[in-house]
Amino acid sequence: MPIDLKTVRHTAELARLDPGHGLSPDEAEAALAKLADELAGIVAHIDILSEAETSGVEPLYSPLIEAPAPREDRPADCAHIEEILRAAPDRVGNFYVVPKII
Amino acid sequence: MSELYHLTLSEAREKLLDREISASELTAACLGRIERSEPEIRACLTVMAEQAVQTAAELDRRGPDPERPLWGLPLGLKDLYCTKGVRTTAASRMLENYVPAYDAHVVSKLKEAGAVLMCKTNLDEFAMGSSTEFSAFGLTRNPWDQSKIPGGSSGGAAASVAAYQTPGGLGTDTGGSIRQPAALCGCVGLKPTYGRVSRYGILAFASSLDQAGPLARRVRDVAWLLKVMAGPDDRDNTCSTRPAEDYPSAAPGKLKGLRLGLPQELWEARLDPDVAEVVKKAFAALEAAGAVLIPMAMPNLRYSVAAYYILATAEASTNLARFDGLRYGRRSEKPRDLTELYTASRSEALGPEVQRRILLGTFALSAGYYDAYYQQAARVRRLIRDDYFQALDRCDFLLAPVSSLPAWDFGRFAHDPVTVYQLDLMTLPVNLAGLPALSLPAGLGPRSGLPVGLQLIGRPFDEMNLLGAGLAFEEAFPPLL
Repeated sequence: MPIDLKTVRHTAELARLDPGHGLSPDEAEAALAKLADELAGIVAHIDILSEAETSGVEPLYSPLIEAPAPREDRPADCAHIEEILRAAPDRVGNFYVVPKII
Repeated sequence: MSELYHLTLSEAREKLLDREISASELTAACLGRIERSEPEIRACLTVMAEQAVQTAAELDRRGPDPERPLWGLPLGLKDLYCTKGVRTTAASRMLENYVPAYDAHVVSKLKEAGAVLMCKTNLDEFAMGSSTEFSAFGLTRNPWDQSKIPGGSSGGAAASVAAYQTPGGLGTDTGGSIRQPAALCGCVGLKPTYGRVSRYGILAFASSLDQAGPLARRVRDVAWLLKVMAGPDDRDNTCSTRPAEDYPSAAPGKLKGLRLGLPQELWEARLDPDVAEVVKKAFAALEAAGAVLIPMAMPNLRYSVAAYYILATAEASTNLARFDGLRYGRRSEKPRDLTELYTASRSEALGPEVQRRILLGTFALSAGYYDAYYQQAARVRRLIRDDYFQALDRCDFLLAPVSSLPAWDFGRFAHDPVTVYQLDLMTLPVNLAGLPALSLPAGLGPRSGLPVGLQLIGRPFDEMNLLGAGLAFEEAFPPLL
């Protein structure tokens, strides 16, 4: 499966990444093209997966050999609001501040 | 070898308990060593000198405590473990000034066990890499040859231990990130079974592959660290409820009659002549000691790099979605709207390899490609694990190279991500299968003079026997540090 510029642009948008961020339009285009090349190179190697015979094989998403058990539901001490909010880039009182959205 | 910082973790432990040395003396010796070696090695992103001196003094005031297995021992932590009140960066601009409000589970356990936390060690950004060159905060040099990389992603941890800055340290292993740097720096490194150690408070890369583990200069040393790290934690529901075992009491196994399976798909890969030579000698020594080497076909390993780079990047793309510039981490200046805040913060603060992997993972999970890539990789993952289980039914342990190359020059693969990914072939299938593996020094390459490692791979939760076999190997192949 070839990865073209359009696919990279769409994927970057989904990932909230802009490979051309802070670059001039020409440089941004070049950065995107380079990334498309790199990703295409990687995906070309990954395409070997299609050769594996997997019909009837259940996907394995976790190597756990024991089913995880939920923990007991009881109150416990955790970090306090002030400690957590100290890491916030911008805040007012107990709220995170974001740019106006509506 | 008379300096205190040369003591192995187990030796230092004995001397501390016998009051032959104090925690403060050992801490001061290691801090001095860090200060002298850092200008060249640059293994540390943060040195916790003041806290370490205070902790050691406090421990000394109360006196040695045999109930605290790591009493007075100075340790390094890969800068991926959250440390309350101490900057935790993941070697990323995104978290350059992030100070966690809590300790990782493992960090709390180390503190309870009496360890003296000394430094936060360098890594590839968010543990994505095999050479530590992707750190946003500079290169770490291999103490064996400073023109070479230390391996990665726990390159700082391995270089720190190899430079005698601390007798042991903690890394994480998602696709070889403990075992490979351990091998390239001549250390012992253990990747425990998936679920053996809690991942709570470790910045997540790929949650179904990540596992925390120790690095040190002897097998017994990593056993002491594992004893403290392992065990249940209800804040990580993938963490097993099995209690930790008394790993340091593992009895040395016997090489005579030991059945070692050799995964053919790995041994037939092209090995650097230096690696091949050390391995040839190692095989001869093992056979002379009575071990039985059994070549084993594990045909699905040929798909492992491809499956890994889909699954690991898919998980990374979701895990790293949390870095949005809102709640913690770096925020872009003056974004026009919320979407630009997300996009600009991430694009400015995440490095090129991290962005590449997020994009690859997003691609693999996106509509139209999910079945062909993500699902197919997960099916192949089961086949790979089945190969391991079948192979382990026919032998005691599997024996594999750790890296097809000894430590390489800085920049050698800078423009070639695919080749670097292929280099992980030796280590990453073990993560797909969730098995424990112990990376051990096997000797020095005759041409390069650089360390070459071998890894033993065991059954799930069989760390006790794996360490026992490691002790037998250690007798056959003397430590390099």
